[in-house]
Amino acid sequence: MIIDAVEERMVIISDLHIGNPFSLANQNLSEFLQFVKRERVSLCINGDGFEILQASFVNLAKDSIGVLNELRALIDAGLNVYYVVGNHDIVLEHFLESWAAIQISPFLNVRSGDQRVRVEHGHLYDPFFVKRPELYEIATRAAGPLLHIYPDVYYVWSWYQRQKDKWRQGDASDEASASVYYEAAEMLLARGFDAVVFGHTHKPERVELKDGTYFNSGNWMRSTSYVEINAGSVQLKDWAA
Amino acid sequence: MRVATRSGKMPASARAKITMLSKKLVRAKEIERSYKDGEWIVREGEQSKEMFVIQAGRVEITKRQGDRQIPIAQLGKGDFFGEMSVLESLPRDASVRSLGDTSLLVVSAGGLLVRMRRDPTFAFEMLHRLSGRVRSLNARLIKLIAQSGLSEHDLEVMIYNPEEAPPSVRNPSGSKSK
Repeated sequence: MIIDAVEERMVIISDLHIGNPFSLANQNLSEFLQFVKRERVSLCINGDGFEILQASFVNLAKDSIGVLNELRALIDAGLNVYYVVGNHDIVLEHFLESWAAIQISPFLNVRSGDQRVRVEHGHLYDPFFVKRPELYEIATRAAGPLLHIYPDVYYVWSWYQRQKDKWRQGDASDEASASVYYEAAEMLLARGFDAVVFGHTHKPERVELKDGTYFNSGNWMRSTSYVEINAGSVQLKDWAA
Repeated sequence: MRVATRSGKMPASARAKITMLSKKLVRAKEIERSYKDGEWIVREGEQSKEMFVIQAGRVEITKRQGDRQIPIAQLGKGDFFGEMSVLESLPRDASVRSLGDTSLLVVSAGGLLVRMRRDPTFAFEMLHRLSGRVRSLNARLIKLIAQSGLSEHDLEVMIYNPEEAPPSVRNPSGSKSK
């Protein structure tokens, strides 16, 4: 299993949720993958690329086949494609590895230039996922049919997440305490990483912490944010911009 | 300790205090130390029960051979060493010195458990490293056995019952062990 990678240039996307009725990743991703192929950069899908919890198998199969073929074409062109497992696609890891020949990792320690970057989905630091895994799965699955009937329910979830962040930031005594993800990133940065890239929250961001920088690669459901590592420099970008 | 109001909802100030206490607990179990070029970090044979994560700089691992220090490996930022002493409470197996200015995160046995709880991928990385070492040692063992010219029976005795193996099997090259 690969957990260490040396890459001069790599782009990181996360939370595509292909198969989910609310995801527009299928419409936006093709052009981005062509850019990856043209520029000959390595690609990392930082978790929740495909949706198994909230999608029917028919939707998943219909929506994923084109993307899987494009990923396969990148691998055939000699490019490195990494897939870091998230919480919505854990059961797909063997399928992706054997069908699409994608390298599956629990997390990646990327060395680029003289910098070390940790790429991880981040669900392991989500208190709801860790403390109440069964309830988390029930709630996530229950939201699936709702998304089919009324896809904009996603905005309610996003609004709730923003309120939760504000509530926590109000209590925070320093930058790292403002989010469980910043705290987790700080723990990792103390281990000799220069930057940490998470996904999971769907909220693209860059935050300077005591020992380095925290990034979140955001999502491709209704957004097109990504993180680019180039010769050790790490930047948060938007494909649509 | 349970901190809660009568309604069961924890007040914001208590939540903030618990967060700070939790962070202080981790910090108390881990300290940062700096070393100058050439300074010894651990010495072979000494008793110490801490492991180290390299935050910045490089270190060299050496083994004593008579009066000489034989270099075994160099480690850089993000690598860790000393975990065998933490896990087994045995004397240091090798010496380590700083190559240039080095900054290290020092983790005690108690601190290791707290870190694994809050940073679970650290445990995965340690297992990954140890698994790699076992694989490499197995490969070296197989190579040495193949070169030794021992019979199948002698190999079985050596692997499964080494204490009962005759000296000719334990030391087929005939060289005297120290």
